[in-house]
Amino acid sequence: MTPRSNPFATRYTRPGAILPLDGEGQPVDIARLAEDTLRMRGLSIEGPHGTGKSTLLAAVAAAFELRGHLGANVRLRQFRDAVTAIVAVGRAAPGSVVCLDGWNVLGPLAWLVRTLAWLRGVILVVTSHWTTGLPLVVPTSVTLPLLAAIVERLPDHGGSINAADLADALRHHPTNLREALLELYDSFETRIRGGALAGAPDQSAPPNRGRS
Amino acid sequence: MRFPRFFAKKRGHRRTVSEVWGSVAEGLFHAGLVVAGLVFGGLLATGVAVPEWRINHHFVEAEAIVVGKGLARRTTARERTWEPAIRLRYETPAGPIEAWAFRGGPIASRERALTVLADVSLDAAMPCWYDPDAPDSVVVTRGYNWWMWTLTLLLPGALVAFGGAGLVRSIMGWRKSEERRAVTFRPVTANPHPAIPSCDDLINSPGTVLRFRLPTSGSEGWTLLGIGLFAVLWNSVLTVLAVTAGLDLIGGRIDWLLLLILVPFAGVGVAGVVRFVRQLVLTSAVGNTQLEISEHPLRPGGHYDVMLAQSGSGAFQKLTVTLELEEQATFRQGTDTRTERHVVWRSTIASWKDVQLAPGTRFEAKARLTLPASAMHSFVSEHNVVAWRVVVHGRAARWPAFSRGFPVVVHPVSPAVGHAEPQEVSL
Amino acid sequence: MSSGLDTAARSPRVAASFSSADRRYEPLENIQVRYTVELPPTAVVRSVERSILWYTEGKGEEDIGVHYFERITERAAVMTAAAAGSFETRLPVSPLSYEGVIVKIRWCARVRLFFEEGRDFVSEHVFELGHVPVAAIVLS
Repeated sequence: MTPRSNPFATRYTRPGAILPLDGEGQPVDIARLAEDTLRMRGLSIEGPHGTGKSTLLAAVAAAFELRGHLGANVRLRQFRDAVTAIVAVGRAAPGSVVCLDGWNVLGPLAWLVRTLAWLRGVILVVTSHWTTGLPLVVPTSVTLPLLAAIVERLPDHGGSINAADLADALRHHPTNLREALLELYDSFETRIRGGALAGAPDQSAPPNRGRS
Repeated sequence: MRFPRFFAKKRGHRRTVSEVWGSVAEGLFHAGLVVAGLVFGGLLATGVAVPEWRINHHFVEAEAIVVGKGLARRTTARERTWEPAIRLRYETPAGPIEAWAFRGGPIASRERALTVLADVSLDAAMPCWYDPDAPDSVVVTRGYNWWMWTLTLLLPGALVAFGGAGLVRSIMGWRKSEERRAVTFRPVTANPHPAIPSCDDLINSPGTVLRFRLPTSGSEGWTLLGIGLFAVLWNSVLTVLAVTAGLDLIGGRIDWLLLLILVPFAGVGVAGVVRFVRQLVLTSAVGNTQLEISEHPLRPGGHYDVMLAQSGSGAFQKLTVTLELEEQATFRQGTDTRTERHVVWRSTIASWKDVQLAPGTRFEAKARLTLPASAMHSFVSEHNVVAWRVVVHGRAARWPAFSRGFPVVVHPVSPAVGHAEPQEVSL
Repeated sequence: MSSGLDTAARSPRVAASFSSADRRYEPLENIQVRYTVELPPTAVVRSVERSILWYTEGKGEEDIGVHYFERITERAAVMTAAAAGSFETRLPVSPLSYEGVIVKIRWCARVRLFFEEGRDFVSEHVFELGHVPVAAIVLS
């Protein structure tokens, strides 16, 4: 990380950049979760926006890839991505795992993907805002210990962020970790610039604070 | 060679999880479009192009005698048409043949169809062309219908181009590093100012006093149109519902559900009209704001003249012109896309108080704009922007405050020696 | 900064040095990057990519713009480049490095190694182009 990099920039907080943590801020036992998924033949990571579903899915997919079980790993953003999901399930080997991030965008085609997976013996691991009916469910939520643990694992903020900032961020965004991290981004930027400019919002020239 | 994007791709990197399957999806989608276009075009071509080509190149010419004429009647559930036809006798290697040839195509009016045959006399001679593979198939005119060809191939052509461009992009982006993809789809060019927005659209309007007149980045006109359209459409639906309810009442029936719906509908309709009228009056009262500048693009440390021309009527408590630098960052939130904006620098160029305007006149004033020597240049990329603009803030008496922005482009200070040549890329 | 493989024990290490000791450059100045690579014993490199580019950092999605790019696939050249090498280019006039509030622009040199088993490893080394001051925060 270079000087003045904001540890809450999207580069460091996007899914896959952070290890998945549980509500207590402890690392999720990905290996065990992967075993349970294979045994129960399906996993649904369910929770609201910005609660770490994609992050957890990325880690689970990586675990399956290491074991050689990963058939495909797909991010679904629009309804037309249903084509991707169908192709992924159709081409995956029986017994392999297909990870689909964004199950809810499939809409009415979700049943088709699920049926196809069942017929082909493919195990689905999905993220969703609502219940999917898959046998194993991991709910995600936002807690203060989780947020604190994430911040601890981000690049060093040099003491610019304290516990009160975390509590404030979570108070303003109690169910959305992503929004809380964006607020911490703003807090960090304000602090490293010596606080927001007080008084007049007008200035005739920007402060000359080139790097040393 | 750059292949065009036919629609604005949803912002955000769609393949951060799986490059391979993202490419598969996009490839399949566009392959599907290509196939659909080819199939559709093929069907249309065989129905239109192939018969026309055969008539013009394959049919055999013969001299025919008109032995009859009439109208072929075609009746469907929706309409009846009449197609003029001529019965011809002509010689073929297999012997003489009599067959009908159509002339002019189906016509809805029988009288008009008859006029097409008015100039054809029985026993008259005329050239004809017959299919040597089916001699009883004969025509009396040849040539190409270019309008039909254009329309026929337009849609499938568009599908093929759309799908083909996307398919090529998918193939070219397959299994490549981020840097390599960036070079493949956005080749290094001889642009002397990479990542700086073009100012062509900002310098194509000459000023009346200064060199350039800047376009505004505001959308007040579109806002007004949008509000107006909404008010018209909503109140149209409301009127229909109200009339229906009224007729029911007159007929002695009370549709409670309809009446219940009408109440909130009416509220929204009235609010829409009020909002439109208010916006219209505001736009009219405040009047047009024009800004001219002596030079463009700008450079750090440069000094420029700007001229403000504000029309309207009544008193303006304050008019202020500022120079601002704004950052814009676009990011994904789930399936949605969000853009955040942040002003990081602002300077007042000039300010005027208690400006009185008579109808038909306008306030004009010049000011001097100075760009700091260390100012950042303008920057634009797919998800991030650093943009300069001149903003006119005003407060008219009895009306809300307004702000109108005029984008400007700032180039970096010119280095002493030339510019870096584009680097050869070895892929 | 390096990323790509699973554990520290199996990750390559790339050390880079720049022609300018403080890693600061002016527009149109020549930049030369020298690097050395420490590979895990079992790693087999099949191609190497070397690039100089800018990227954005901040609240928005990352964008990149590649100014210099070189891909080495010929076996003998790969063996050399996967151990050490250098590359240079003349930097453009824009975009300059920029420390904004929600948008930052950084320049870097990257060395990317592609391995036989299909994985790749990228090492990134930041430098500065121009000297635009840090942006302030203005109350709206």
